[in-house]
Amino acid sequence: MKRGVALLALVGAVAAVVVAAAFTGALGPADATASSHREAPLISEDPTADNTDLYAFVSPDAPDTVTLIANYIPFEDPAGGPNYYRFDPTVQYDIRVDNAGDGQDDVIYRFQFKTSVANGNTFLYNTGPVSSPTDPNLNVKQSYTLTRLVRTSGNSFSKTVLGTNLPVAPPNIGPRSNPTYDPYQAVTDLGQGRKAFAGPRDDPFFVDLGSIFDLGGLRPFNFAHLIPLANEAGQDGVKNYNVHSIAIQVPKTDLLKAPAADGTVGIYADASRPKISVLRGDGTVDAHGPEVQVSRLGNPLVNEVLIPLGQKDYWNASDPKDDAQFLSHYTNPEFAGLVNLLYPSLPDTPTSGRSDLVAVLLTGVPGLNFTGNTKADLLRLNTAIAPAADPSPLGALAGDFQGFPNGRRLGDDVTDIEVRAIACGYGPILAGALGLCNLSPNNAVGDGVDANEDAFLAHFPYVAAPNRGYEHTGHN
Amino acid sequence: MRRRTALLVGSATAAALAVGSLVGGVFAGPPSAAPSSGPPPALAERALGESAGGVTATTVLGLEAQVRRTPRDPDLLTQLGFAYQLRWRETADASFLPLSQAALDRAVAVQPGNPNAVLGLGSLALIRHQFRRALVYGRRSQALLPGSARPYGVVGDALVELGRYRAAFAAFDRMASIRPSLASYARVAYARELTGDLRGAAAAMHLALEAAGGQPEPMAWSLVEVAKLELLLDRRSVAEQDVRDALRVFPGYPSALTELALVELAEGRLGPAVSAASRSADAVPTLQAVSLLGALFDRAGKRALARKQRATVAIIERLLEANGVRVDLESAVFQADYGIRPRDTVELARRAHEARPSIYGDDALAWALSRAGRCAEALPIAKRALRLGTRDPQLFFHLGYAEGCAGDANAMRVSYRQALELNPEFSVRWAPVARAALSG
Repeated sequence: MKRGVALLALVGAVAAVVVAAAFTGALGPADATASSHREAPLISEDPTADNTDLYAFVSPDAPDTVTLIANYIPFEDPAGGPNYYRFDPTVQYDIRVDNAGDGQDDVIYRFQFKTSVANGNTFLYNTGPVSSPTDPNLNVKQSYTLTRLVRTSGNSFSKTVLGTNLPVAPPNIGPRSNPTYDPYQAVTDLGQGRKAFAGPRDDPFFVDLGSIFDLGGLRPFNFAHLIPLANEAGQDGVKNYNVHSIAIQVPKTDLLKAPAADGTVGIYADASRPKISVLRGDGTVDAHGPEVQVSRLGNPLVNEVLIPLGQKDYWNASDPKDDAQFLSHYTNPEFAGLVNLLYPSLPDTPTSGRSDLVAVLLTGVPGLNFTGNTKADLLRLNTAIAPAADPSPLGALAGDFQGFPNGRRLGDDVTDIEVRAIACGYGPILAGALGLCNLSPNNAVGDGVDANEDAFLAHFPYVAAPNRGYEHTGHN
Repeated sequence: MRRRTALLVGSATAAALAVGSLVGGVFAGPPSAAPSSGPPPALAERALGESAGGVTATTVLGLEAQVRRTPRDPDLLTQLGFAYQLRWRETADASFLPLSQAALDRAVAVQPGNPNAVLGLGSLALIRHQFRRALVYGRRSQALLPGSARPYGVVGDALVELGRYRAAFAAFDRMASIRPSLASYARVAYARELTGDLRGAAAAMHLALEAAGGQPEPMAWSLVEVAKLELLLDRRSVAEQDVRDALRVFPGYPSALTELALVELAEGRLGPAVSAASRSADAVPTLQAVSLLGALFDRAGKRALARKQRATVAIIERLLEANGVRVDLESAVFQADYGIRPRDTVELARRAHEARPSIYGDDALAWALSRAGRCAEALPIAKRALRLGTRDPQLFFHLGYAEGCAGDANAMRVSYRQALELNPEFSVRWAPVARAALSG
């Protein structure tokens, strides 16, 4: 259930179920203390394990390295006290890299968080007003262990702990709690060109959710919609919201199979929770049993747009190497038909035989970042392509091959790129270079939100500092 | 062509709404990126202060308007059906349940086998304590949503109440292996609690609490459940802190207030207990809150006020029944507690037991029989209620009562001691009775 882009708005088969996520009132036995879990919620959202976006790019200021960023916890309200958002110590957060083209993870970066609580009697972030970073009311601090795992053979991995007790950046509460907020605080230099970061950030994603929710509308193209409206400029629906980022910067060679200096790697991020069962054999509290993957993300939008509702749990739990089983949802996307219905004046996009989507999302694009015939939903990055001097938000569509779908940079406008891809409007450059379809004017559509509201940082972790709770007065 | 357009608009609208909730919870939790038509729910929630009820109320109004425009959209109808269930949970107003039924029935009529509508009917049947029906819908939604965790929740919940524990626990295990989450952890916790594994239950509830991810209502709900377990583990101050945290993340949360009353009582503070219980009953007059308040008034010597609460209990029960909620079991225990029409109560308990052949069905029947003086009959049934090893003081007290009146005073004392050890204030009305029997 990733946030991603709400292009999902167009997909007919969306759950109503989330409605039931909330209240769990009690109709318990009279005058008794017996607990009544009967009323446990049937459906629960899981924001801390919800992987919203994944980014991978050759670092512009350190071109021998690659930066990988995975974001979690959608729509954090910066003023989210008294229990500020945080990583979940019971979740295992992983960024995984395939360097053999078989869809299997060969290198894993694992973030395991620990929460230390000054006053162990309460679960809350601050137990009163916080006047300084050392205020005893500041109750909760987080740290993490970063481990690198490398597949040696079969299912065995060698493990290297890259750091323990690494700091997590604090929430940006307000001028009293954080008189200044250094955007680079909590960046850990691990030596040898390796860096790590974890903490709240401004959500780098940008998209016009408000309009897309409204029957798949794209404000600048309101005239072309089945229900036409006056054209308008797009509005960023995730503006001023925060997310939690985990990020690493490592030499390219850390990700590649030796002795390659460059090559294409496939990347995905996931989150796993411990599986528990009713009967505990050994009488211990098995808080960290075998992990079950509850969320995964390679390319943006796939879970939302292409995977049908009934299969979302299953898709989230399955591994990219087995994605051939979902092939028909890529070749015959239900979504394409809805685009045709909602935009009757645009040329119809094909609703079957979409080998273009298979290439972009499952195998890599030949000549750009193809990794072989194994179908796996991975973000594929060809590390040989040097950082663009003047990056285009439209990435490969604009001839800037360092950008999406070659990896994904923070500024890449994946909404416009994917809308055009699904509408078969890849533009003249990709049509010429790779023979991808190029319907007009489908190759010009977009949501009208072309950049993030905050500038990205010049150096790692690049993602902008979190929006401050104190200044948070609403959105847009 | 026109019709096709209308249908399309309908389903896209439903989808759009659903997305609103998917991305952040229009209905609860973190703010959604709602269209610019109103403030994000989290802000609205805050503006409403003590209650988030208004958010769902607004949601319901919005959905009702959508349904009027496109009355044959199954996804929209399903959402409305779930939204009414949410309103019930917020308000304890059972008249939302027939509305939910109507919306879901229409969804299924328009699209037989709409997976979420079937799931919604299962969830509605659970709310109404129609467990056999819930099981049927749960199984059907399992078939419609293979590989999905949610149907296992409906199936497992129904099986627990039908006393089919082995199958129920298997369903919960399956649910937790498909999708570890608050919903599945909480169910594993309950199952562990039923087997008497209170520490394991608390551990599972702590996982659920973490998985609430800071969302106010799920976090408050989990904290209250943890508090209940902490009380049974005799960690009263921890329980109190959990309840107070729940009230801090969700001010005025009714079930936290009810639990706070029980914690206050356990700590020997009757005044604060009464005040918490009355705030809870005022906010949401559930059977539990109102009957607790009545018992507390009794304990405080305020007989007239106590009688008024008990009269209210009877009214609430009638309202629930009128809206399809079966409360035989709750009524039977309540009537047995207060010695109301003992012979009728036995019949009521028998009916309850038939519908819910669980350990709590056994318990209600044994209790009704004991209170009608039929203790020899009650005794084996009260023992059966403890067949899972559940460490629920109420079960031990009811067993002791049957033992005592069947003439085995020693056994009675052992059972009463077990009840009081688990919680010296396990029941406002009966804990003093057990204490007196032990000291006498």
